[in-house]
Amino acid sequence: MLQLKNISVRFGGLTAVNNVTLAVGTQDVVGLVGPNGAGKTTLFNAISGLVRPTSGQITFDGADVMRAPMYKRARMGIGRTFQVPQPMHELTVRQNLTVAQRFGTGSVDQNKIDEILEFTSLAEKATRNAATELALTELKALEVAKALATNPKLLLLDEVFAGLETTGKRHFMSMLKNLHEKFSVGIIIIEHDIETISNLCQRVAVLNFGELIAEGTPEEVFRDPAVIKSYTGGGHA
Amino acid sequence: MTELVLQALYSGLLQGGSYALIALGLALVFGAMKVINLAHGELVLLSAYVAYSVESGLGWNPIFAIPIALVVVCLSSVMVYFVVGRIKKDREINSLILTYGIGVILTNLILLIWKADVRSTGSTWMQEAIVVGPFYSMRSEVLFFVVSLVMMGGLWWWLSRSWYGRAVRAVSSNRDAAKLMGIDPGYTELVSFVVAGILAAVAGVALFSYGVVSPAYGSVLTVKAFIITVLAGIGSIPGVLIGAVLLGVAEALTVTLASSALQELVGMGLFLLVLFVMPSGLFGAKGRRG
Amino acid sequence: MKPNKTIIVMLLAVYIAVPLAFGRDNYVMSLVVASMVIGGIALSWALLGNLGGMVSFGHAAFFGVGAYASAILSMKFGVPVLVSILLGGVGAVVASLAMLPVLRLRGPYFALAILAYAHIFRILATQWTSVTGGSGGLSNIPRLPEIFGYDLSSKTGGYLVILTIVLVFAAIYQYIRCSNYGLALRAMHESEDATRVVGVNSTLLKGLMLLVSAFMCGVVGAFNAHYINFLEPDYAFSGLWVTIPIVAAIFGGYRTITGPIVGAVVVYLVDQLVFKSIIPSGHQLVLGVLLVAMIIFSPDGLLSLLRKLTRRAHVAA
Repeated sequence: MLQLKNISVRFGGLTAVNNVTLAVGTQDVVGLVGPNGAGKTTLFNAISGLVRPTSGQITFDGADVMRAPMYKRARMGIGRTFQVPQPMHELTVRQNLTVAQRFGTGSVDQNKIDEILEFTSLAEKATRNAATELALTELKALEVAKALATNPKLLLLDEVFAGLETTGKRHFMSMLKNLHEKFSVGIIIIEHDIETISNLCQRVAVLNFGELIAEGTPEEVFRDPAVIKSYTGGGHA
Repeated sequence: MTELVLQALYSGLLQGGSYALIALGLALVFGAMKVINLAHGELVLLSAYVAYSVESGLGWNPIFAIPIALVVVCLSSVMVYFVVGRIKKDREINSLILTYGIGVILTNLILLIWKADVRSTGSTWMQEAIVVGPFYSMRSEVLFFVVSLVMMGGLWWWLSRSWYGRAVRAVSSNRDAAKLMGIDPGYTELVSFVVAGILAAVAGVALFSYGVVSPAYGSVLTVKAFIITVLAGIGSIPGVLIGAVLLGVAEALTVTLASSALQELVGMGLFLLVLFVMPSGLFGAKGRRG
Repeated sequence: MKPNKTIIVMLLAVYIAVPLAFGRDNYVMSLVVASMVIGGIALSWALLGNLGGMVSFGHAAFFGVGAYASAILSMKFGVPVLVSILLGGVGAVVASLAMLPVLRLRGPYFALAILAYAHIFRILATQWTSVTGGSGGLSNIPRLPEIFGYDLSSKTGGYLVILTIVLVFAAIYQYIRCSNYGLALRAMHESEDATRVVGVNSTLLKGLMLLVSAFMCGVVGAFNAHYINFLEPDYAFSGLWVTIPIVAAIFGGYRTITGPIVGAVVVYLVDQLVFKSIIPSGHQLVLGVLLVAMIIFSPDGLLSLLRKLTRRAHVAA
């Protein structure tokens, strides 16, 4: 479904992503790990259209999306959450989902929205102002809900667990476990916690200094000496 | 024919000096406070009219109007600063409307005090022709071109060497970090308004000395200053000078080769051209979005 | 929007009571019509600001282009006046297409860029003598027609036309604002990326708001041309068509739909009846002072300030 070929993203002199090739199918739950600054969010930005890669090819459902603007990719089925939640200002939670659904799929179905609100435990906060009246856990849940409202085929989750305490984490874990089946969507998830990744993903890709240094099942990858080195220091200059 | 074109280039170059001063004043305030002072052109105009009053009322050469213009314009500039500071929210948008309103007030004040007639200097000393090589110009044009170069040099020195100047640059690039360094942004904003006032005052006297002014000219000046900042891009004093000269030359060429009525149009045309082709200006920093 | 008693009463008042009360007095009617013209511009300006998130200082461009387009179409091509007024709006839309590239500029840059465009159109109108009559302008522009025996070119007729125009535009504004597009537009002000990532083509929506605003302003300008039957560049593109509507919109509260219209009537009438008699030349000065005062003390408009004050009085009592 998603095919990344030799993707490189360069900002002036800095190479954030270097020659990454990755494929994700509709049934996959892929983890994307790596130390801070490895280029994971930049890769997400390239896939979702916030940033244009300096070279390489991105194909989604067979179509070349390199030149497609962000909103078009969302309509094609690439959903994405931001690491720092970005709710739509001046709108309620429900309105956030309504806009997402209306512009992401072309029509509005309040029943589906209710379903999503229920799934992300936001049903009680539906009428609250999204930008000013939600706690962090709820904001992060809204990120996921917004993306789900666009009826995505691929969901990019960017560090949804960051900043959450234990109850929040548990809640999200169970939500994410059901996500894949209930909404039949492929997932790429950026996360730091190895246990979480091992629990959720069948496949893991490891980035370090913008390069893909390992790819495989969680067991294989986390035993790979190169991967361990990248986390404990050592890498190359 | 070539002499005409070369003469136009020369005149445009000289005109560019004053244009650059006006544009720099606008850019300085924007950098320090993220506020575009839409009344800036009116401040320049005010200075020009002060020069007129000095000349017609006291019979002095307009040069001597500079100190008086400095006081008047800097005071006005500071008043604008204080009024802008009173804005409570949405400063970016509200300051636009506010300074627009101040511009309206100034334009109408000028209209009331000095009436609607077009004014220019009667000083023969200013108007005397100076010949440099094959090129003609009024003494005032050459004089004020030199003055503007000196002032730009001074401004450059001030921004890079003096404490206040560096503080202004710091606040422009990162306000919070500057605060952490002990720089009071409010104070540097005030300083930037004062300096902008100084630049505007000199430019206004220059304008009166070799050009014509009328009350409606204020907003035209603001637009020209804005066009120059777009041409130049962000963050470069030499860039502003070159952009200003470019505008001056383009206008002079239009007057020579086409008609004086199209003079304003060419500035706008340049502006649109740059917007479409080179949105970050000729010398500005590039943007990042894809 | 469901019709309710207040709205019906108000409609009756403006459509029937006003003409009945003032119809005989040409001077008052012409003031009312002019204030409605200002109201129309103020409405289009507020729409661009609220929905599009862009402050413009160049609405005179749309006003003038609409006026000239309609005048020329009806004079040189024989287009019926009511049709040419609509086409005048289309002309303003075409002019605004040239402004689309500046949409990506941030607030202050956009506002000034639009101002530059306004200057350009004024110069074009002055120079393109063969088409626009140059600085001498166009005179004897066709009047509004007779419909079913009722002469629309009379003061009252003109009033009814501009009233209808403004009300229709207010309805359109309301419709957009309450729709999903309105929601997306509101969110775009401070969280544009959040909207783009869920499929909102924010650039397109902003552009559309510019076009809508231009159309409305152009139609108003066109109406005015046929109402006063005369046009010249300094009038059509005058800064007054920028200043007064802005003061009006802010005075009445530019976040609301009725605010700009009410503000226009009040501000214009006060300006013409009071300020002008005190300071005949340069009475705009007071407008400038008013604008500055309002931004500082009550940026949401005087009406909202009054509402706040009366609420406080109620609580205190």
